[in-house]
Amino acid sequence: MNLFEKMKNIDRRYIYLVVALCIIIPLLIPFNSRTYVTDPTANLYKKIDSFAGKEDKAVLLSFSHDASTMAELFPMEVSILRHCFERNIKVFTICFSPPAAPLMAYALNVAKEDYPNLKSGVNYCNFGYKPAGLFLPIVLGMGDDVAEAVQTDADGRKIKNLEILKGIRNYDDLNLIIDFAASAAVFSWITYARVRFGANVAAGVTAVMAADNYPYLQSGQLVGMLSGLKGAAEYEKLVDVFAAYEDTEYPNGREFSPEVVKDTWVPIMSKKISYDSQGSVVQTNVDLPYKFKQARIGMNAQSIAHIMIIVFIILGNIGYFLTKKKTAEVS
Amino acid sequence: MKRQIPLIIVIGLGFLFVAHTFIPSKTSVDFYDWWVSWSKAISPFAVVLGILSLFMVHGTKIQRKAPNWQYSVVTLLALVVTAFSGFAWGTNEGTPFLWLFANVQMPMSATMFSLLAFYIASAAYKAFRAKSPQATVLLLAAFIVMMGQVPIGAAISKWIPETAQWILNVPNLAAKRGIATGVGLGMTATSLKILLGIERTYLGSD
Repeated sequence: MNLFEKMKNIDRRYIYLVVALCIIIPLLIPFNSRTYVTDPTANLYKKIDSFAGKEDKAVLLSFSHDASTMAELFPMEVSILRHCFERNIKVFTICFSPPAAPLMAYALNVAKEDYPNLKSGVNYCNFGYKPAGLFLPIVLGMGDDVAEAVQTDADGRKIKNLEILKGIRNYDDLNLIIDFAASAAVFSWITYARVRFGANVAAGVTAVMAADNYPYLQSGQLVGMLSGLKGAAEYEKLVDVFAAYEDTEYPNGREFSPEVVKDTWVPIMSKKISYDSQGSVVQTNVDLPYKFKQARIGMNAQSIAHIMIIVFIILGNIGYFLTKKKTAEVS
Repeated sequence: MKRQIPLIIVIGLGFLFVAHTFIPSKTSVDFYDWWVSWSKAISPFAVVLGILSLFMVHGTKIQRKAPNWQYSVVTLLALVVTAFSGFAWGTNEGTPFLWLFANVQMPMSATMFSLLAFYIASAAYKAFRAKSPQATVLLLAAFIVMMGQVPIGAAISKWIPETAQWILNVPNLAAKRGIATGVGLGMTATSLKILLGIERTYLGSD
């Protein structure tokens, strides 16, 4: 039995051990890696950014997943909330499944820690958990009157009395819905909020679900999409480079520019000043809290894991072809 | 009667909702509002039913000391403790409910989901073979998409993420659109069959 034949019959526990090491080591010893931003992520960023400082525009975040997919979806939720908080954009959250309710509160708490001046009911509002049976009445009802359809927030307050509702009546104002899901939940928002009321819909989905959404991106029914941890890492970078960017020229963040995205990279693990392709210094906040760079650190582990899987496939195929050749020679 | 009454309810309400969608009259809107208030009232009963069912199933298991009955004790205990902490102290920041979520449910759920990575790696090694030209194309597409999704792929060559994006935007999209059209037609046909009373399997066998 040659080496490849031995490897073909290797105990799967050794494979599990290699997988564990390939994922754990890059998470424990993070390193800098470049993040390339794709169009669906950039489009979503631009859409949200176009609401900056507007009294009559708001974003609705719909949480349609449970804790099992938090590794992929939580970093994108925190990044989007950070973007909204940095740019003074009104944000609402809602969920229609019980396991998503604490997750929604947790995401809000984590994101707002760095913004002590934000107030619930003024800058953001958590609509809380609504029973799945009320999904249709609420989604359709918000097309006419958000306050009437949702009635109360997570704290039991009548939302029509909240300051945040000033200027927000229906989907003309609550003009962007982002659904975070590990399922096809976003299709319901497309069917009812997009088709019937013309609301802009975007998705933040796990990587395995992303392929299903491409037809909707191409048709324009989704204005943008964050695809798995990669999408979250891209969004983290955009927020760092634009919304949370600070220097003397841009004290409150700067406008999106594709050229800047292309040329800038943010060293997440180093305190050294980095340089762009023209050799200019990139001034970014390198002392970022972990929560604002967790997707990019996770992408390191994903890089190694993908390479490992590819190596496994190649080794498995070499073993397969050698065994096949040997069998053919014997017969 | 056991089959006819549910059938009449389904067909009658089915056509009423179709009418509501296409005829936005006052009567139709009033009917819809009436239905919404009923849905709000009905939903909590489903929760009660679910909790009762959970207690009955696991209670019986504990009572009979069925295999692995200890897990049933943990399930019921978790339900009671979590629900109690939510009712007693609320679900806001700093409450025991949110602590339980962050320190028990989150890591446990994430652990279960992350097992997928181990199975994928093992399955890729043991089963992903270039046995035919089609399988080879699939294999190559998988390599490119996997590398295109991670920073290291773009660091190797700009060509990798661009090709990965092309695979997702063109062949993947064409296949997905075909599947979506098929599913859409299938849903329309099934809905019509239910509305017309042709499809009755949802009523059960007796």
